[in-house]
Amino acid sequence: MSDFDSELDASGLNCPLPILRAKKAISAMEAGQTLRIIATDPGSVKDFEAFCKQTGNELKSSGEENGKFVFLIQKAA
Amino acid sequence: MQHRLSGPERRESILSAAQGLFASKGFHGVSVDEIARAVDVSPAILYRHFDSKQTLYNAVLEKFSCQRQSYVDTIVNHGTRFEDALAGMTQVYISGIAENPDILKIELHSLLEGNPATQAFFQNRWKSFTDYIEFGLNEYLPYDIPNREKIILSAGLMFQGMIREVLIQKCLQPQDRLVDLSLYELSHELVTLFLHSIGINKTQLSRKARISG
Repeated sequence: MSDFDSELDASGLNCPLPILRAKKAISAMEAGQTLRIIATDPGSVKDFEAFCKQTGNELKSSGEENGKFVFLIQKAA
Repeated sequence: MQHRLSGPERRESILSAAQGLFASKGFHGVSVDEIARAVDVSPAILYRHFDSKQTLYNAVLEKFSCQRQSYVDTIVNHGTRFEDALAGMTQVYISGIAENPDILKIELHSLLEGNPATQAFFQNRWKSFTDYIEFGLNEYLPYDIPNREKIILSAGLMFQGMIREVLIQKCLQPQDRLVDLSLYELSHELVTLFLHSIGINKTQLSRKARISG
């Protein structure tokens, strides 16, 4: 079983598109569900930290896989 | 007696002087000696803070790369409608340049100088807009319209040219005929014209022109 409910590939996209798409995706999810985001923009690490801080959603993990940045965000209740 | 600057203060004074000189003369038009003279230090002191002119130049550019946080704020606070996010991003971008037109001057110099690293920095700033516009139009323009791909690519270019020109006109060479319109009013009108030109009006925007996840 995967540790996320939905996935968003924002590879190749520049700030703020990954954030915008993540916001839209999360708005369609249930509270407690987790979104996995893949991005290639190095600045997205700080962007998603700021995004979660502001929205109250939880940044469960933030790391690199195969040269891409991968984030798990759980929607706040 | 002259106040002796701390390390961070000295670094900041060098950065500030370098910014002004790079803005007026470009990267190649300024020497390390000239920057050192402007802050009344020896080149050796300057090299203690920045090991090369390129490092110093990059540090000046780095000061201007703080807009990301504002873009995130815009997206969080403005909703996900195409027009709202585009207007919010434009506001952030022009505010940054209105507060410090040196970045626009440095960009224009870099276009002529052809330094790949610098050009990448500025292209990346515009890419936030062109990516956003291309992505949005790709989702919402009907698939059967003629020259669809060309329209999408041209729209991003059109927006970039429009905003860059209004910044030049208002921040670098104020024109009498535009004196009654503020930078913000002009950019608002241009964004509205842009949206009309790509076939999006406010009615359509509020109904369907949203970026989906």
